[in-house]
Order: sequence, then C-alpha cells, then structure tokens
Amino acid sequence: MSQKRVLLVEDNEFNRKIVRNLLAKQPYELLEAHDGEAGVAAARRDRPDVIVMDVQLPKLSGLDATRALRAEPETANIPIIVVTSFALSGDQKKAMDAGASAYLAKPYSPRQLLETIRKMIGDA
Amino acid sequence: MSRHDAAGSGEPVGAPPAAASGLSERTARVLLAHWPLGGLVHAVARMRSSVHFKLLAAFLLIAFVVALVGLISLEIMSRMSAQSEAMHRAHQRVTSAQDAQHALAMQMNYTAMALILRDEATIASILRENNRLNAMLAEVEDAAPPEEREIIQRIRGAQSDVMATVADVANLVRDGKIDQAMNLQLKSGFPLFQQVEGLVEQVVRIEERNMARQRNATALANRHAIYLMGGLVIAALLLALLLGFVTSWSFILPVRQAHTFLSRVAKGDFSTTVTVDNRDEFGELAAQMNRMSAELSRLYEEQRAAARQLEMLNTQLARASQAKSEFLANMSHELRTPMNAILGFTEMILDDIYGTVPPQLRDPIEDVRTCGQQLLRLINDVLDLSKIEAGRMELSLTDYSVQEVVETARTSLRALAEEKGLDFTAEVEPDLPVAYGDGKRITQCLTNLVGNALKFTKRGRVSIKACLAGDRVVYSVADTGIGIPADQLDQIFGEFRQVDASISREFGGTGLGLSITKTFVELHGGTIWVESEPGLGSTFHFAVPLRVAEPTGATEAV
Repeated sequence: MSQKRVLLVEDNEFNRKIVRNLLAKQPYELLEAHDGEAGVAAARRDRPDVIVMDVQLPKLSGLDATRALRAEPETANIPIIVVTSFALSGDQKKAMDAGASAYLAKPYSPRQLLETIRKMIGDA
Repeated sequence: MSRHDAAGSGEPVGAPPAAASGLSERTARVLLAHWPLGGLVHAVARMRSSVHFKLLAAFLLIAFVVALVGLISLEIMSRMSAQSEAMHRAHQRVTSAQDAQHALAMQMNYTAMALILRDEATIASILRENNRLNAMLAEVEDAAPPEEREIIQRIRGAQSDVMATVADVANLVRDGKIDQAMNLQLKSGFPLFQQVEGLVEQVVRIEERNMARQRNATALANRHAIYLMGGLVIAALLLALLLGFVTSWSFILPVRQAHTFLSRVAKGDFSTTVTVDNRDEFGELAAQMNRMSAELSRLYEEQRAAARQLEMLNTQLARASQAKSEFLANMSHELRTPMNAILGFTEMILDDIYGTVPPQLRDPIEDVRTCGQQLLRLINDVLDLSKIEAGRMELSLTDYSVQEVVETARTSLRALAEEKGLDFTAEVEPDLPVAYGDGKRITQCLTNLVGNALKFTKRGRVSIKACLAGDRVVYSVADTGIGIPADQLDQIFGEFRQVDASISREFGGTGLGLSITKTFVELHGGTIWVESEPGLGSTFHFAVPLRVAEPTGATEAV
C-alpha cells in the first residue's frame, strides 16, 4: 500500500511551508494547490486521501470548492478539513454546511492539525 | 360682501360640530342664506366693538322694547277704562230720561186720580212727581248737547203751563167744582201733558241714540286695542328673535371657522389660515391663531430640516461605523494569516520538528511564542470588538467545566506571574456541577481580568477564586496592585478606558479587555463589578448563570 496523500489548498507560501515541514517526517505524501480552482482540479486528478482547505482563496473560495467536490461522486467522500482565519461566528456552521469533515480556526497549532489529519485517515 | 356671496350660493358656512347638525342647523342655514339675515349677521360681525358690548346692546334693546310694549298696554287699558266710564254715563242718562218719562206719566195719572179721589194726598203726589220730573230733567240737562238743552227748556216751559193748569184743577177740586175741574183738565191740562210727553219722548230717543253710538265707539276702540297689543307683542317677539339670531350667529360663525382651522392644524396642516370678518374679540382671536399657525409652520419647517440633516448625518455615521467594523474585521484576518505562520513555525521549532533546539535558544524562542500569543490575543480582542460593534457577536453554548476555565487562565499566565515574582494562586470550590455557556468566552474573560491584575501589580499577590452563589458562578480576581480611584470605578468598563494616560504609558494595554469582558458577561446574562482601594489593590468579580438559558435559535454548539 502506497503512502496516504494529503492535498493542501492554501495561497500563503509560509502557511504551505508549515504544513510541508510538519508532514516531512510523517508517512504522508503532500500535494499542494495555490487556489480554489487548482485545488478542485488536483482533487479530481489525484484523488487524495484527505484535503486541507483554506477558506480565503483566490479564484474560488474554499467553501465553494468544498461544495463542488461534494457534488461529484468521485470526490464526494474525500474528508476535507476546512481552515479559516476569518473566525466570525457562524463560520464553522458555514463550513460544515458546505460539506467539511472538520473545521480549524487560524491560527491553528500544527500539532492540532496533525492530530486532525491522523483522525481522518490514520497513520499509514 | 363675500359673506353674502358665500351664504347666497349655499356653501356651508364653517363645518358645524357633528352634534349640532339637525333641524335647527338646517333652519339656520336657510335663514343665513336669505340676504337680509346674512347681511345683518355680517354687519354685526364687522361692528367695531367688543363682544360684551354687542351682547349688552342686544339685551338692552330687547328689554327696552318689552318696556315699551308694557307702557303702551297701560295706555290702552286706561283708554278702555275711560270708554267704559262714558258708556256707563250714557246708560245713566238714558235711565234718567226714562225716569223723567215715568214721572210725567205718574203725574198725569195722579192728576186723573185727584179728579176721582178729590183728596190732598193725591194732589201732593202730583207735586212730588213734578219735582222728580224736574230733578231727572236737571240730570239729563247736565252735559247735554245744545239742541237737547233747547228741548229740555221747552219741556220746562210746557211743564210750568201744565203745573199752572194742575194748580187751577187742584183749586177747583178743593172747591168741589169737579165738573169745571174735569172740563179744565180735558180742555187745557191733557193737551199740555201730551205736548210735554212728546218732548220727553224726544229726549229719551236722543239719549238712547247717544248710548248706541257710545256702545259702537267702545266696541271699535276695544277691537283696535286688541290689534295694537297683539301687533306690538308679535313685533317685540320678532325683534328679540332677530337680535338673538343675528348676535349669536355673528359669534357662532367665527367659532366654526376657528374650529375648522384648529382641526386642520391638529392634523398637521400648518399652512392653513382662518378668515373671520369679526372686528371684535373673535377677530382678534383669529388673528392670533393665524400668527400661531405661521409660527408653528416655521417651527415645523425648521424641525423637518433639522430632522433631515440628522437623518443624513446618521446615515453617514452608520456608513462610517460599518466601514470601520469591516476594516477591523479585514485587518484582523490579514494579521491572523502571518500570525498563523509565526506561531506555527515557533511551535514546530519547540516541538523539535527541525531538530533538537539548542538549550540556549529554547528560552528566547519561548519568548517569541509568548509574545506571539499576546499579540494574537490583542488581534482577537480587536476582532471581537468589531463583531460586538457590528452586532454580530454570538455565544457558542455548550457544557464546560469551571475548573477547566480557571486552570486554562492560570496556565496561560503562570509564566508572566513567575517572571514578575508574584504570588499567583487559584482556588475553585470543589465539586462544582458542569456549567453551560460559552466556555471559551468565559475563559477569555477570566484571562483578561487575570492578565490585567498581573499587569498592574508590581509586588505581592494575584489570586483567582471561583465559587457557586445560588444559581450563579462568581469568578473573582484579587490583586495587590495600584488600585483604581473611586471616581473612575464606573468608567473603566467603557471602551479604550484606562485610569489615565500615564497608566497606559507605564503599563501598556489598549483598554479593550474590560469592555469586551463586560460584553461577554452580559451576553451570558451576568454582571461584572469591581472593588478597589487605590494603593492597596483591586478585586474584580463577575457572576454568570451556572447554566445559561438557551436563546431561541442563532447559536451553535462547538
């Protein structure tokens, strides 16, 4: 069995680097996308095991991207962890309504993110 | 003359109050529409004198007419009394004339009886009747017209001849010469009697005619008196009605106009004016009302302009406030993105993700993390404030542990207390039941208070306490810091408030924490208060319900 694959959809290079560094020593393969459209395309193409989706993204917002993926049978069952830095009341509900499997508010602790990913797909 | 035209064309003359309409109202309308009455009302209204004078004049005029009618009645009554007196006198004269006739007849009768009875007593009776005749004639002669007087003179003359003959007859009877006496009587006495009788008869007729004339005159006079009296009474009545009508309507019309005017003003029509012909108090009143209306209109316009300006200002302010809230929310977002990276990298370094951290670097990196978290709290405060201002702050209600709240607050600030060398304790009432509310926000409140306490205390102690009081949890944070002056106690919960500017220079801080804490406590339905002694320290308390009542909708569980 090959490594589990994590798709990170995030526009900020530093935040991508955190996840890259965080997963470097983990048994996961990291795929990256810089905007919502690229994220959806990557998910269709590569069928990752879990998606970490930022909400504030260029081109297509994380919530719309999540909805789009949930609407297609091939991608409907991929767990999606939605991350937002716009922590207004109701954001969590919006994320869950869009089809998120989990929700994290920025700034999140990398440890916390790792735990959430593990919870979704297991170690290997 | 506009009043006439309006009245003449049948337009309503001022709207009457609803209750006043009816038969009398319709009658008044018809009367007013009739030229002379409408004109009179108009003329009275335009009279340049006071209402008091007009009323007094009308009443005095009516009283004068009534008095006049009374006087004329008295005069007529006295004239009627004189008429009946004259009638009585005429009747008396007829009676006297008839008595004279009777006396003459009796005299004749006694003369004839004297020829049969031949005694002195009968002769004396003749004389007595002669005297009665003379007395009656004297009565009739008094105040008699000349031709009647002449007849009476002729009666007297004939009567004296009769009496001379009677005296001769009487003497012949006394002498026993009855045949001669009878002969004298028949030849001379009787024709003389007949002559006198005819004359007396004439007098009686004259008097009877006079009486009949007098009766007719009296009847005519009575009839005239009745007509005159009736006419006067009717005229007085009509005059009183006319004066009453004209006077009252000269007052009612302006009152109606005023009523219509005031109704319009009451409905907010300040441009209306009232036109009244009266040159009395009513005219004055109408002028005052017009001035009032103009003033009201001016004030209304001013007020409306002010309201428009205020509304515009309000819209601008609301827009500015909205822009500010949006700016703050966006700024918070933009700040949190790099914060995520800073704290994330720091945490991973400390977690040895990049290899073991050299011991001499661990301390400064931990400082970076502490400061980063402090900065994050500040950013969170700003975001919270923008949400509170935008009215979008809501609680996420869930079960939470009071013990955990106190522990989290203590853990996150223990390092700071240790660094300042302060005694830092926490005490929670044992066996507290599970609480229900927004645990994260309660933790934020307690952390704010403890952070403040640590900040403003240079030496001594900061202690946290949590206990149950009835159905409320009371959190208390006591310090031995600089304290707050009594006159500032009720202000410190306002936004951006610190005791004074030098405080913020010395201790730092934005003054946001207490305002946000108060908002969260109140969103929970709780209260916050402070006791303080400058120089000795402060104790902040807040009490929230152990289990917050579930509001309908608009919340979500975490």
